[in-house]
Amino acid sequence: MKNSAMFIIVELEGRKIRIPEGLTVIEALWDTGYDVKRGIGCLSGLCGACTVAFIERESTKVKFGLGCQKVAEEGLNVIMMPCFPSRAARYAMEAMAHPLEELGTHYPELYTCNDCGACNVCPEWINVAGVMKFAKDGDYEAAASRVTDCIMCGLCASRCPKSIAPQYVALYIQRALARERPFPPNLAKRLTQMESFVFEAEWSRIVAMGDDELKAYCAAMEGP
Amino acid sequence: MYPDSLCDSIAIVDATREKRKGEELLRLTSAEMEGLLRRYHPDYREAGFRNLRIGANRGDRTTHEIADLLEAFSNLDHSKISLEPEFDTDVLVLGGGGAGVTAALFAESMGARVILATKLRVGNSNTIMALGGMQASVHEDDSPVRHFADTMGAGKFAGKRELVKTMVEDGPAIVKWLLELGVDFDRDEEGNLATRKAGGITAPRIISIGDYTGLNIMKVLKDEIRKGEGIEVMEFAPAVELTTNGFGECNGAVLFDLGRKRHFTVRARAVVLATGGSGRLHFQGFPSSNNFGATGDAIVLAYRAGARLEGIDSFQYHPTGVMFPDHMVGVLVTEAARSLGGQLVNGKGERFINELETRDACSAAIIRECEEGNGVRTPAGKVGVWLDTPLIEETQGKGFLKRRFPSMYRHFMRVKIDISKRPLLTYPTLHYQNGGILIDEKGETTVRNLFTAGEAAGGIHGRNRAMGNSLLDIFVFGRRAGLAAAKRKYSEPGNVTLGHVYRYYDRLKSLRISSVATSPTLFPEFIVSKL
Ligand SMILES: Cc1cc2nc3c(=O)[nH]c(=O)nc-3n(C[C@H](O)[C@H](O)[C@H](O)COP(=O)(O)OP(=O)(O)OC[C@H]3O[C@@H](n4cnc5c(N)ncnc54)[C@H](O)[C@@H]3O)c2cc1C
Ligand code: SF4
Ligand code: SF4
Ligand code: FES
Repeated sequence: MKNSAMFIIVELEGRKIRIPEGLTVIEALWDTGYDVKRGIGCLSGLCGACTVAFIERESTKVKFGLGCQKVAEEGLNVIMMPCFPSRAARYAMEAMAHPLEELGTHYPELYTCNDCGACNVCPEWINVAGVMKFAKDGDYEAAASRVTDCIMCGLCASRCPKSIAPQYVALYIQRALARERPFPPNLAKRLTQMESFVFEAEWSRIVAMGDDELKAYCAAMEGP
Repeated sequence: MYPDSLCDSIAIVDATREKRKGEELLRLTSAEMEGLLRRYHPDYREAGFRNLRIGANRGDRTTHEIADLLEAFSNLDHSKISLEPEFDTDVLVLGGGGAGVTAALFAESMGARVILATKLRVGNSNTIMALGGMQASVHEDDSPVRHFADTMGAGKFAGKRELVKTMVEDGPAIVKWLLELGVDFDRDEEGNLATRKAGGITAPRIISIGDYTGLNIMKVLKDEIRKGEGIEVMEFAPAVELTTNGFGECNGAVLFDLGRKRHFTVRARAVVLATGGSGRLHFQGFPSSNNFGATGDAIVLAYRAGARLEGIDSFQYHPTGVMFPDHMVGVLVTEAARSLGGQLVNGKGERFINELETRDACSAAIIRECEEGNGVRTPAGKVGVWLDTPLIEETQGKGFLKRRFPSMYRHFMRVKIDISKRPLLTYPTLHYQNGGILIDEKGETTVRNLFTAGEAAGGIHGRNRAMGNSLLDIFVFGRRAGLAAAKRKYSEPGNVTLGHVYRYYDRLKSLRISSVATSPTLFPEFIVSKL
């Protein structure tokens, strides 16, 4: 353990306090007695539960990030802001013949986007405004391919002056596109094989095997 | 940014890279493997284990941390709570990860009324963190039988044949279900599902969505669950006890409302326990890759209700958990880094194991190096070995790491470590609970009307889970548990009691087991180990 811990002064949830160096914002909250559970999930920067807003020392700009990843530095002023309200449309996608064509019905506010770029605060480095532009222009492949790393933290939505929730718009597009893709031939083939019981003879052999026989059988299974 | 002391060690890694490049390390013989595991794998450290003194698995070996929870009293004061059900439903699903949400969706599809209660937000789970991918035999050269053989072998033949068979046979159909929901698995040029090989798998079988497979599946499932009115979701409401009727059948649960700080009871015709694994119990002091809520609650609740457990002395330690910087300790570096040529290098700049050995063997070898003084020490006093990521960049071409592992690249760039230029300090991290609550092919436990799915369930993966089989298992058995639970909707739940808990207490007392611990844990005690 490090015994020569250095201490720093930060402003946590509006309270000036001394903490050891090297803690993340969440750890700093725990260390100073905040029993935070809401707003914590994976502790690995993957689930988007722990959004924070902060100003760094001598900076004039409010920035955004993840509380489990942001390491507190001297002079940091930070609050947690998990669960920003975002409108998510309700729909039954399987009931739509062409869900992409109905994007505007479910998310009409998308078309009020004026490319202001305020949503570009993504901790996953996604150019959110760019994605929304592709979405508006109907280039859905381009939009979807840029959001596989979206962790649904909602920070982008918290900045949008038009109350657009880019993460939900993008998810709609991802799902709709996936549904419109042709069924994968390799999977189709496997399912047909299984429906016609192609593997049944082999299974009945396996079921009848003793333990040692099964071990030998599996060991003999070599890569194709 | 690495401190000077670690930079000195990195210089050794850099200096030996050229020499290591062409080096072939022999694979272990089975005797060598056995010896290595026995000596260094945490599952074999007798000091970390004891035999249970109570319950359906009395006499069985498990870790002290689990035994402590199973030999403890409940953390709720039974005399102070009302068992009058506040909610009444057909199926109560506990746990909002992949297994729980799948069970809820299928139960609802059968016309059952469903309540899904979870500890944190829906989706805050290990499922969301699964990066690598999911196994399913869809490739031409593959077959369910081959998948079966690989899984049995990986689990050292301790898995139950009928469960493994069920899982591999349902695999392709589950993939179809996910595709139809709008999960966008990666494709090849012909529109086939793209498949990859991985350690211990004899055919290309891992399907994935970029670097974020679990996340992208969970996003869709979460979207789907909001669709109808059939599933009522209760977040921030962990289960603290199951309830039973006069026949000992499960008929609901006591939940804790984290906001209002009070207990309430839900009565149900069937319960699906899908609360995941136990990494946050930090067995033997190991760091963990798991989410904040993975505290093994399922085994505690089910055990008190009389369910039989299986394989609760077997855990997976993933070889490459991060050891520096301090705040990322335990976070996973994906297996693919080793399959793509990332070498494990000790403090002297030497390799010490073929990186393509199974997870348990690689972990044991890293522990051996560190115990023998060949590890690298961080300023905080933690020890690990290097994973030579710049070597991957060198052999696969410039820009490869950023392209292939965008999330990992980004996570380290945030702390000013460029993984294409600097290696990563790693050490085994507690990753997965191989065993759990014993289930049958329907997902039912040995307690009637109590179903289990996902990491909480046991009997499938034997003594070692092959990569990608967990994501498959949670959907296959989540579906089965949901369907079977829904069929119980006409059964008579009976009175809601805690009779099983009182009986369990009497036995603890008669065995003179006294314990100050209470369980379930719900949230890990956070120890800021950097102080
Ligand atoms: C970092 C990481 C990477 C992984 N990568 C892969 C991979 O590439 N491929 C693969 O196949 N597997 C992988 N795994 C394993 C796999 O992700 C998990 O085993 C699997 O997702 C477990 O699903 P589950 O639904 O059973 O549990 P979880 O997804 O963990 O969900 C359990 C849920 O129950 C909730 N809960 C806990 N206690 C209670 C309670 N008392 N009451 C109510 N709710 C409760 C939790 O908060 C959580 O939401 C990985 C795991 C981790 C941690
Ligand atoms: S796109 Fe929006 S919701 Fe998604 S990770 Fe970026 S900021 Fe968060
Ligand atoms: S903040 Fe809103 S209006 Fe501005 S670019 Fe982003 S989505 Fe469009
Ligand atoms: S806790 Fe999941 S991203 Fe921070």
